[in-house]
Amino acid sequence: MGFLRKDEALQVARRLLESSTADETEIVIGSTAERFVRFADTGPTQSADRERHIVAVRARVRSQDGWQEARATCDGLGDEQTTGALSRAVALARVAPPNPDLAELEGSAEVDASSGLVDEQTVEHGFEAKAAWIKQALAACATADLSPAGLAATSCTSNTCVNSAGRSVHDARTRAAFSLTASAPGLAGGAGFGDAVARRVSELGVSAAIDRAVGKAIANRSPVAVPADEYTVLLEPNAVSSILLFAAYQGFGAQDVHEESSFLCGRIGERCFPELLCVDDDAGNDVYPGTPFDGEGAPKQRVELIRRGVLTGPVTDADWARKLGTTNTGHALCKPNTTGPKPTNLVVHPGDSSQAEMIAAIQRGLLITQFHYTNLIDPKDLTLTGMTRNGTFLIENGEIVGAVKNLRFTESLMNAFGRVGAIGKQREIAGALFDGEVVAPAMRIDGFRFTSTTDF
Amino acid sequence: MSMERMDLAASAVDEALGGGAQQADVRVNHLRMEDLVLKNGALAGAETPEEYGMGVRVRLNGCFGFAAAPLEAGQEQRVARELVERALESARKLSAAVTRTTELAPLEGECAEWKTECRIDPFEVSLSEKLGFLKEAEASMAGSESTVVRLATCGIRREEQWQATSEGARLHQVLVRSGGGISTTAARNGQVQRRSYPSSFEGNFKSGGWEHLVEMDLPSQGARLRDESLALCDAPPCPGGSRTLVLGGSQLMLQIHESVGHPNELDRVFGHEVDLAGSSFANPEMIGGFRYGSPEVNLIADSTIPGGLDTRGFDDEGVPSGRFPVVEKGIFQGFHTSREWAGRLGETSSRSTSRAEGWFNPPIIRITNLSLMPGTWAFEDLIADCEDGAIFADTVKMWSIDQRRLNFQFTCEIAWEIRDGKLDRILRNPTYQGRTPEFWGSCDAVCNQDHWELWGVTNCGKGNPMQVAEMSHGAAPARFRKVNFVEAT
Repeated sequence: MGFLRKDEALQVARRLLESSTADETEIVIGSTAERFVRFADTGPTQSADRERHIVAVRARVRSQDGWQEARATCDGLGDEQTTGALSRAVALARVAPPNPDLAELEGSAEVDASSGLVDEQTVEHGFEAKAAWIKQALAACATADLSPAGLAATSCTSNTCVNSAGRSVHDARTRAAFSLTASAPGLAGGAGFGDAVARRVSELGVSAAIDRAVGKAIANRSPVAVPADEYTVLLEPNAVSSILLFAAYQGFGAQDVHEESSFLCGRIGERCFPELLCVDDDAGNDVYPGTPFDGEGAPKQRVELIRRGVLTGPVTDADWARKLGTTNTGHALCKPNTTGPKPTNLVVHPGDSSQAEMIAAIQRGLLITQFHYTNLIDPKDLTLTGMTRNGTFLIENGEIVGAVKNLRFTESLMNAFGRVGAIGKQREIAGALFDGEVVAPAMRIDGFRFTSTTDF
Repeated sequence: MSMERMDLAASAVDEALGGGAQQADVRVNHLRMEDLVLKNGALAGAETPEEYGMGVRVRLNGCFGFAAAPLEAGQEQRVARELVERALESARKLSAAVTRTTELAPLEGECAEWKTECRIDPFEVSLSEKLGFLKEAEASMAGSESTVVRLATCGIRREEQWQATSEGARLHQVLVRSGGGISTTAARNGQVQRRSYPSSFEGNFKSGGWEHLVEMDLPSQGARLRDESLALCDAPPCPGGSRTLVLGGSQLMLQIHESVGHPNELDRVFGHEVDLAGSSFANPEMIGGFRYGSPEVNLIADSTIPGGLDTRGFDDEGVPSGRFPVVEKGIFQGFHTSREWAGRLGETSSRSTSRAEGWFNPPIIRITNLSLMPGTWAFEDLIADCEDGAIFADTVKMWSIDQRRLNFQFTCEIAWEIRDGKLDRILRNPTYQGRTPEFWGSCDAVCNQDHWELWGVTNCGKGNPMQVAEMSHGAAPARFRKVNFVEAT
């Protein structure tokens, strides 16, 4: 049946809302239809043609001491499932302890529906076309004596939020993605990575991603060891993404600041980084627009998180805006939750440097394609660790001179971002090992600290 | 057994075979969960998800196809037919790109039922009782203005699966797991530090019922955790350098998971997971000869062990559960496999480690319950046997490992420096780094059965798109020599 279109989704949500006995009720529906294929040296290895429709019911009961609330979800649209979810949410809300910090549900909201994009060519994109991509990738790898592994995927996701205060918002958008990791046979040498993400399958740069992965793998056939040390690094967009997402997860939310577990604590309004570093959360950006409303249907505002090197205020949601007496920036995840509001559409402003110019300016340093398994050690100074992956190259006297074996960094982003020397003018939609995507350029950082090495 | 749902799965298998499939397996799943989180007195997490869906996997022209959708009452037959058609269609189209056809190890399809034993059905415990349980646990951590977060969690899960395969398997399983924990975070002196019990990741989980939560006696640990989190804010950082390290079980379990479990998945070894999760330093030539660890190191995979989060009768390909050595007296013994991968080792049967996250995903090789077997030491004797300056560290705070599972770096929630054979001052952010075979090779002591505990992992990610699986790792505290500490902050 595919994903839920607007009329179907609103009908399901409103019908359920009408049968609620709670004092306040919110229905959020996330519906996804997806076709993906994983591939490797043997061709397609796994695939799925699948859909799911997660209906989440938030029920609230008013008491003298605040709202009692709970959520229940079901995966399916049948009456038995959805009314079951409603019953469970109401039952749990009735015994939940009251929370005086919760705001009333907000009513009608205007969201920018123009950014929604359902590209029918992407919706219809099938396995035959994906097989053609895979054959292209396998052929390119075979020509260069490389082993392929990757993903070809298309999906359409709709999000709907309706509540008893009169809110009713809907958005749907398509996504196409392709990635290739090209490795030396038997994993005996280095590897290369290339990927592409777009809202329309017709705009997906599959050939460019294949060329990039194969090119990097060829250049990375015989990496040599370099010692763990401080290096000037040129982080390509995927490397920037994987470290910046931790700032999103761990510090740019109002709850993080309130609980003193954010690098923003004591630094809001302070210039911590060079002026060229500007980061927004902006679902309306024109490179990779996101859903224009948050987990409770509030319009997502563009929020400057780092303005010309200055750390500015955190993102909020309805409850945290009320608690702090500020505006709701529209960054709620589905409620209730333990994490508080989070930015989900990070955008780094472009600089004015080409990649060639940034390399030319490095006397001795490393070009980093990706980081692997980045993780957080300390939230107050954003100390992270992670490994390089899929193409790390030594730069000497302004030129790439060869591939190097992977290294582990252990570095505070508060310190590292203070040493940003240049930002690329080209931006990409860049992901990471775990969830999330960032619109990111490449970035040159001086004195980046590597603490150990590995064998390959 | 609900014959209707088993018949639904079986008829889908028949339709797939009738449509040209060489092989088919179909799973109908009904999942119920209940996750409650009390945070600073408020119900910050309150979810009761329910899923009912079907996943159809077929093999046609040597290529897999898979389709999945939720099921609605009265619509099951129609949805099943559509899924079979879609799975066949995807395999047919994709087979044009196949360069090596997929073959499966033989399977003797069984007809069986399997259920987790529960002394207290967790879904029969009232919501009021659960909230009372959490309130008492959370309140036990109160008492300091420097405490910024107090969390008490409980989570229960019941997954019922009707599975049919073209080899004749008709399997009905009911898997139940329960768990929870407490954690508290303190902020002062510019530090923010967390302590958790029994482990991080929202506590410890086991297959079984509500009895696990009762046995944990969470309130008895609240004051200790509060005081330790405060002490960590005042503590010096754990210094860098080479030192002896004793790891507690709630940390060692993740060490096992990351540096033994994942590199032991055979699909990684052949590069089929390299696009996201990574590959492995291990290879088939190492079986029977490669020194993975010291003679103290014995690691057993076991999907039959009581309490394990991957304890069940059969895996998601219908293969009976079992037990096999991964490392014996330090020597590497073998890999986790599936029906698809067993043949690559010349083996004629899968080791029953192929699992899918619910009905929505195709099965892939997953770590099963994998445990470091107990040694002979009493914990107190082991600490007394350590030199001054050695470190005892426990409870996962941060983990990272390279894509071939060699270079790892972990940070624990807490460490104590050992002086005069006893735990002395507390150190914050203990961060150790190593290379997998050398690290396990440096193990010279493992504590005995009295200190051995089964620890649940509920958030293991693998695949692309990522699937989440659950498994357990048994461990007792163990000692490692000449470990490299990194002064991280």
